[in-house]
Amino acid sequence: MEEHDRVTTEATGRQAAAHATAQEAAAQATAQAAVPSGIPSLDVRDVTVRFAGLTALDAVSFTVRPGTVHALIGPNGAGKSTCFNVLSGVCRPAAGSVRLGKHELTGLPPHRIAGLGVARIFQNLALPPHATVEDCLLLGRHRLTRAGFLAAGLRLPSAAREDRRHRERVREIAAFVGLERQLDRPAGSLPYGQQKLAELARALCMEPRILLLDEPVAGMTAAERRRTAAVVAGVRDSLGISIVLVEHDMGVVMRLADAVTVLDFGRRIADGAPADVQNDPAVVRAYLGERADPEETAS
Amino acid sequence: MSEVLTRDETGSAPRPARRRTIRLPGARTAIGAAGAVLLLALPFYVDRFWLEAGLFAMAAAIGAIGLNLLTGATGQLSMGHAFFLAVGAYGYCVFAADGGDGLTGLGLPTWLAAVLAVAVSGIAGGLFSPIAGRLRGAYLGIATLALIFIGQHVLFNARDLTGGFNGRDVPPLSLFGLTFDDRELLVAAVPFGSAEKLWYVGLLLLLGCGLFARGVLRGRPGRAMNAIRDHRIAAGVIGVPVARYRAAVFVLSSMYAGLAGVLLALVFQRTVPDYFGITLSLDYLAMIVIGGLGSVAGAVVGAVFVSLLPQLLTRYSDTLPLVSDPGMGGIAPGEAARYLYGAAVVAVVLFLPGGLVRVAARLRVKPRPGATPGEER
Repeated sequence: MEEHDRVTTEATGRQAAAHATAQEAAAQATAQAAVPSGIPSLDVRDVTVRFAGLTALDAVSFTVRPGTVHALIGPNGAGKSTCFNVLSGVCRPAAGSVRLGKHELTGLPPHRIAGLGVARIFQNLALPPHATVEDCLLLGRHRLTRAGFLAAGLRLPSAAREDRRHRERVREIAAFVGLERQLDRPAGSLPYGQQKLAELARALCMEPRILLLDEPVAGMTAAERRRTAAVVAGVRDSLGISIVLVEHDMGVVMRLADAVTVLDFGRRIADGAPADVQNDPAVVRAYLGERADPEETAS
Repeated sequence: MSEVLTRDETGSAPRPARRRTIRLPGARTAIGAAGAVLLLALPFYVDRFWLEAGLFAMAAAIGAIGLNLLTGATGQLSMGHAFFLAVGAYGYCVFAADGGDGLTGLGLPTWLAAVLAVAVSGIAGGLFSPIAGRLRGAYLGIATLALIFIGQHVLFNARDLTGGFNGRDVPPLSLFGLTFDDRELLVAAVPFGSAEKLWYVGLLLLLGCGLFARGVLRGRPGRAMNAIRDHRIAAGVIGVPVARYRAAVFVLSSMYAGLAGVLLALVFQRTVPDYFGITLSLDYLAMIVIGGLGSVAGAVVGAVFVSLLPQLLTRYSDTLPLVSDPGMGGIAPGEAARYLYGAAVVAVVLFLPGGLVRVAARLRVKPRPGATPGEER
């Protein structure tokens, strides 16, 4: 717990270091005043995405309340990853809006959305195989650091100081997820579960206000699942940030989620507390097919 | 959880590994120091031919470092590197010449002309950067082909600036009252001509460029560049402004090419448009592939290999089988060199992904598995 508290306070202090545009500075100022209580809510309103005739998302709406874990579930092809692509700016919706506090996210390029404190891990690993884990995590510090080509090339003292400070922070975050021993190993040499953890750590290195987790425990062993679920719960409890979770493992979803939105063929078919959603006939139908008896399948 | 714990215990192996890395730099600095002394002493012992070959390799190495930043580290293919070399070479001539030969010349101090030539290459890269920022990988390679064609057209036809087909003379560099021309200067009873004097300029420039590029690659920009190469979409989501970085790296790489162009012009003492064709761009790509993509050492090794090979073959054409002097019916040394490094590119891609520097790295790492058995237990 002590560890977690330090993570929080450090987060506030560090965030003062960075920023170029006034907008970012403003966003940062609110973050600084606010951690952990002032995490903005994420409002997704009537988002529609079409790919050449196929409607991947059809007027989907949901709200992620500050400091909660919001799960996004549904069968394969339901539009969960598309939804994440909209939230992180990779994909522009044909209609609808996504608002983080007072910022409209649709139409912003991905790096600006990252600048507002939205971090994401990918369903398929996106770690450079040869770089060390430490370098991977330092990449997560990109938006919080300043050193440009000139400062890095000439090894200016300011760049060296910044580098040292952020390496220290990276070590703390690695310890938080349990990877401090692996920092100088190439990321590609780690077992799959640890690579997923490294990616989670990299997202945490961005000091996010909203964390988007795309299947964080997929392909993990039971022990790794427990470990990851504990880290995710720890992140929510200690950092107070909001988490949007896409996951097929219902055990993890039910254990972690405060609210669940269910998608099927790009449409929202249910939204609410985990227990309610679990018993929703529409959800059961989507997962198990037609005319199932809700009483039997809910368990 | 238990798995994490066991890993923690076995993970205590890094300690012996660390002791090993402390000892290694000792050997490395010794080799480095010996190499430095050798390089510094060369002008006193070897003749002009070797010095010019070496200078040519240094210039190529600077250009290759620039291309490796763009293509190796950021994954952006460029076929237009020769264009920026030409901008540097001709830019230097235009700024430094006094106009005595009837061509445009601003008559600026030569050191300033060199700096301006590099700046102009950067500006040329900057003008192309709206395109360089938007296109990725191979698509940029195709777009930069246009630069070669435009460049060749301009070089042949803007006679006032470039001297047309015959090219133009390059004014010798002069620094702190020392002119790097062929007037001989006796240093320790060794006559110093332009090659001897330029040798030290070349070494200094290469060292500076190499260290700068290494700093960039190991620092924050390098991590962002590699992220763009490996996972472009993820890089953006992590907060790297992808287009801005691509454009910035393109400018930086053009400036390296410009500096390489200036140095080449000073070594050749004459610039001709034919040289800056598409083959030159391909030579540079061959350098970084053979040497090793994405690293400074790779660029330097590749540049030395590709630029010394034809010179060596020319020098020893009479003793080598199949190779003969140009015009004697056999394979000319230039052609033979092309075949050889063509084969080298294929061999490297097939058997040595990572280039020649990987061989060195592999030799250095080899003792490791035996020394730290505990790590894998």
